[in-house]
Amino acid sequence: MLLRTKGKPINIKSALVGKVTRNPERLDENSFLLVEGSISELPSKNFIGILSRQDEYEVINSENIVFKIPTLEHLMEGDIVSVGIDGNINTLYRVNSFHNTLLATERCNSNCLMCSQPPKDKNDINNLYEINKKLIPLIPKDCIELGISGGEPTLMGDLFFDLLSQIKTELPDTEIHLLTNGRTFAWDYMAERLGEIDNKRLMLGIPVYSDYYQVHDYIVQAENAFYQTILGLHNLARYNQRLEVRIVLHKQSIPRLTRLAKYIYKNLPFVEHVAFMGLEYIGYTPHNIEKLWIDPYEYRDELGEAVEYLAGQGMHVSIYNTPLCILPENQWKFARKSISDWKNDYLPICSTCTKLNDCGGLFTWNLKKHSEHIKPIH
Amino acid sequence: MINEKADKRSRKFREIDQFDLNEQPQYYLLPFRFHRITDDKEIIVNEVGDYLLLSNGTFERIVKRQLDKKKDADLYGDLIANFFISEEPIPPLIDVLATRYRTKKLFLNYFTGLHIFVISLRCEHTCHYCQVSRVTQNKDLYDMSIANIDKGIDIMFKSPNPHVTMEFQGGESLLAFDNIKYAVEKAERIAKEVGKGLTKVICSNLALINEEILEYCKEHEILISTSLDGPQYVHDNNRHKPHASSYELAIKGIELSRKVLGHDRVSALMTTTKLSLDYPVEIVDEYFRLGFQGIFLRNISPYGFALRTDKSKYETEKFLTFYKKALDRILEYNFSGHYFTEDLAKIFLTKILTPFNVGFVDLQSPAGLINGVIVFNYDGGVYATDESRMLAEQKDYTFKLGTLDDNYNDLFFGKKAQEIANVWANEALSGCSECAFQQYCGADPVHNHATQGDMYGYRPNSDFCQKNMEIIRYLIELMESDSRIKKIFERWAKTSTH
Amino acid sequence: MQYKNEIKNDEIIVFADTSLYSKDSIFKCLYWYGDKYHTNVSFADNNTYRVSVKPLSTNQLSQEEQQYLLLKLERDLVDYNLRDIVTKETQNVRDLLIAKAFSNGEFDELPPGDVSDPLGFNINQLKND
Repeated sequence: MLLRTKGKPINIKSALVGKVTRNPERLDENSFLLVEGSISELPSKNFIGILSRQDEYEVINSENIVFKIPTLEHLMEGDIVSVGIDGNINTLYRVNSFHNTLLATERCNSNCLMCSQPPKDKNDINNLYEINKKLIPLIPKDCIELGISGGEPTLMGDLFFDLLSQIKTELPDTEIHLLTNGRTFAWDYMAERLGEIDNKRLMLGIPVYSDYYQVHDYIVQAENAFYQTILGLHNLARYNQRLEVRIVLHKQSIPRLTRLAKYIYKNLPFVEHVAFMGLEYIGYTPHNIEKLWIDPYEYRDELGEAVEYLAGQGMHVSIYNTPLCILPENQWKFARKSISDWKNDYLPICSTCTKLNDCGGLFTWNLKKHSEHIKPIH
Repeated sequence: MINEKADKRSRKFREIDQFDLNEQPQYYLLPFRFHRITDDKEIIVNEVGDYLLLSNGTFERIVKRQLDKKKDADLYGDLIANFFISEEPIPPLIDVLATRYRTKKLFLNYFTGLHIFVISLRCEHTCHYCQVSRVTQNKDLYDMSIANIDKGIDIMFKSPNPHVTMEFQGGESLLAFDNIKYAVEKAERIAKEVGKGLTKVICSNLALINEEILEYCKEHEILISTSLDGPQYVHDNNRHKPHASSYELAIKGIELSRKVLGHDRVSALMTTTKLSLDYPVEIVDEYFRLGFQGIFLRNISPYGFALRTDKSKYETEKFLTFYKKALDRILEYNFSGHYFTEDLAKIFLTKILTPFNVGFVDLQSPAGLINGVIVFNYDGGVYATDESRMLAEQKDYTFKLGTLDDNYNDLFFGKKAQEIANVWANEALSGCSECAFQQYCGADPVHNHATQGDMYGYRPNSDFCQKNMEIIRYLIELMESDSRIKKIFERWAKTSTH
Repeated sequence: MQYKNEIKNDEIIVFADTSLYSKDSIFKCLYWYGDKYHTNVSFADNNTYRVSVKPLSTNQLSQEEQQYLLLKLERDLVDYNLRDIVTKETQNVRDLLIAKAFSNGEFDELPPGDVSDPLGFNINQLKND
């Protein structure tokens, strides 16, 4: 799935955000016109600019223009893009997807061994905030779900709360799923400020990888992270925030997994959802694969025990990123088709599987590194 | 120092050893308690009821700082994660532990919920163990007066609890059904006005139940609680009714009540008598056959028996044998796929296996009397528990808090209540203060007084202590030796919290 | 001075070093023997407790039972002493814990460590006024 492209910019002085349309009739002050061929005159309406495939372009009336774009095929009517001064065109929101995510920042205070989107030590917070601030009002009000991820979004500081306030105002009916390591919420005032925003549709997905601090801290490569995260979860619960615990399954988290399940029920019974997630072979993971890899088939007993224990206690449990053929049939009810459309794939042998339609399959990047036990179900 | 800082902030991956927050081999103990479970296993229980089962001698190694962080890595991790030891004098998650402690004592937040109205002392049964009821037509003397009902309702709605339960007991409560109707309708009116939840329960032997009464119960969402001691030969022997079979009336009553009110609106309680002790399997089978979801295997009531030390200990041993046989039978049903609980076990298991508690009057600390339950006797006396008013029938007024003419504060916080409060927390009782099962058990000053002659009680020969210690120990032994039983127990524990 | 635990005239006698066993633990242990035995604690010398239990007249023991009782008393003394160590070492934390449990978060500890990133995120700037 193509999410970014680039052309030659003219007149673009700052990052622009707008919807795209191929229909000049639908142009307004928040949209770009997509152009495949040449145009001789500008639409008479007020609009942001033109995105064109033309190899040459002559400015008609000092309009914003990016030309010589290799393809515009990936853009659907109504998709929202940002256009940078360098001519980069990033797709920010796809109208035909249920998996849209705002990038809050690429800064992070953890450095997880298996991070799928490794952090960058560059201050992008203001730039991304400005883009998101323009993006949010353009998102269709009937958007069902919107993710927010990073990096660690709370590092935005005050802007984090501004962003969430804006979202609540602009998208009151949208389920917001925020991925955070939860560490900053160990400081009660952070949780309190989030509580003041009072968005009942906000759910925080927070990772807990072990019941024992040293293992968790090692996995996320940050001292005191475990204690901070557990305190953060408790503070957030105190301000009635909806919470999800996320556990990535790998060689470091598996040995204490059943203990972690008990820990969650005993110490975090207020969490609304517990997600057990297969490892993604991208980001830092290939680099650390020796420390992380365990064939999902090898941990199916531990996973099964943890999942059934929590479900037995009345908690809502899911298994993500794990093909059905790896799981015993009685756990299929916990498996979700969790992988976003644009990064989802199957192995060639899967084509004959009778459960293909029910199966979440693999991350595209896991085609290179997957369980040895994947086989079609007949 | 500067280098270290720089290193910490680089994105170079570090090994697990570098995330050890405690380079010293030293650790601090957190409050927890110890008990021997079997010949080769011991248990430690932390301040919020989480336990670890250990092999013999481990407790001593923990206390004497003989653990090796590397060699005993799993155990060390378990002890840190479960709040038994800490690497700092004040554990980093002490506020989490405090929240959990608060959750375990949450029943204190609500104060009195259960309000028992002894609506009439009259009864048409002549059960041999019952020291309380009267066979008489004298309503004036033995029914609760309308004036006292009014005062009782008034006091009930002074409780800070947002949801109160009014339970009608006897004697046989249905002999005063007109007064029950009066009380129900008045309480419903007030509950609506003040915005409190109200549950209504009629306790009855069901001999007098009929469709008309049940239609009323249906209309007013009244629950029925009845007595069933087991199969006919046990029940009828325990519960004598002149010229009739109490058992047949109870069964007919249960069936009719279920038909009109719905299956789950009718519950039954058994009283264990000496005779019952010979029929553990039959009693369980009877409850199962009748379609109940479980059974509460209750201890022999000491009231009226005047049980004393040695005899009581012997009786308790017999009860425990009975209990274990019955529990085995219950587990058989569960093994074959049925959901059927033992409700005393369910209470303990909720305390042992979940972060929650159950507000069960006899197994709380601070005790459930006054905090959870209050009894308004037919004659206007106010008592701390149901057992307290039974003592009063034997002229023992130790737990009489006053009368319905007294004001709320004098009843609930007065001299008598304060006197009881001195002994109602097992955290502060000899024999209990260092008991591993303290969090699972409770304090029962009324029972202590009734069986041992003083409220404080003496644990070495207390039947309450003997019974609870052994049942809790046995439950843990069972589930730790058989994972099927553990799954069943986890399920029982779960369903009592939701 | 060396003392040997013994059974003498139906009395079970155990000696305990005062530097190893707390007085509290000895009494807590003997508490559980009080319903069936006469119990007694005294000093054998300045550094040694003499702990004894003797069956009540209603509770005659066989030799075998006496041997078992000796073993049980020895073991119980060890157990109660360990329990006493935990109780005393943890008294302050327990008091603190319960005080916190019945407070409304106003006594919460500061979180451990920091949550900065390599660019120097500062959590303290986010505190509400």
